[in-house]
Amino acid sequence: MEKSQLELLVALQDLDMMIEEISEVKRLGFSAEREEELRKAREELANKIKKPLVYSYEKLKKRYKRAIVPVGEDNTCLGCFIKLPTSLSSIGRTDAEVIYCEGCGRILYWLS
Amino acid sequence: MTNEELITYFDEQLFLPDLKATSKDELFEEIVDQFVKIKYLKNREILLDMLRRREQLGSTGIGKNVAIPHGRTTSASDVMIAFGKSKQGIEYNSVDNKPVNLVFMIIAPPQDENNIYLPILGKMVEILNKSKTRSKLMEAETYEEFIDIILKG
Repeated sequence: MEKSQLELLVALQDLDMMIEEISEVKRLGFSAEREEELRKAREELANKIKKPLVYSYEKLKKRYKRAIVPVGEDNTCLGCFIKLPTSLSSIGRTDAEVIYCEGCGRILYWLS
Repeated sequence: MTNEELITYFDEQLFLPDLKATSKDELFEEIVDQFVKIKYLKNREILLDMLRRREQLGSTGIGKNVAIPHGRTTSASDVMIAFGKSKQGIEYNSVDNKPVNLVFMIIAPPQDENNIYLPILGKMVEILNKSKTRSKLMEAETYEEFIDIILKG
């Protein structure tokens, strides 16, 4: 099944976190020599995401370090801890749309 | 990080003493499916993608029949560690090309409050560097035995 734009953004953030921590995992003795290959994969992944979404992701990343934040069990944005409107709940959520937190503007990701 | 602190991140439901997988891909699926089964995760594909990408960077098979696949993912809410053991060995493309018998999969959320992910990873490497501990882990049949070995490791 084709991945949604939100799922691709989540994969992009996962890849960015991996790239950020390369030197630390190397220091712990892990093999992490193909950094260039990973950066290339990152670019290929970013190319699959609509440009305005990538821009917005990059902007949020600059501002907050993590552009996408999980939503807590009590329907709270775990970035700014604002309670989200009940119309935005995990019930029936399919990750088809990209939704921004009304409080901090980060992209929301429901874990359940 | 102390061994006492480390054991608080293990979970009996993520203790898999008889892995069926024979390849790296099968192994990742077997463990990730367990995370999904006990509801730690809703989207297995996102985690599988992250783990495969990590292998693209370099093998997490650290040699001496041990693998520590690891990474942060937006799809995780907490740090979680799964332990798996394979009697027959798993083809893993490890740094020493030996099959893997002991697996610790360490998954962390984007931000962990006390920043414990990297210390956990470091502690696991330290414990698994001891050949006596590796041999004992191969013999562990129950979760209690396993935790005791990690505590003393």
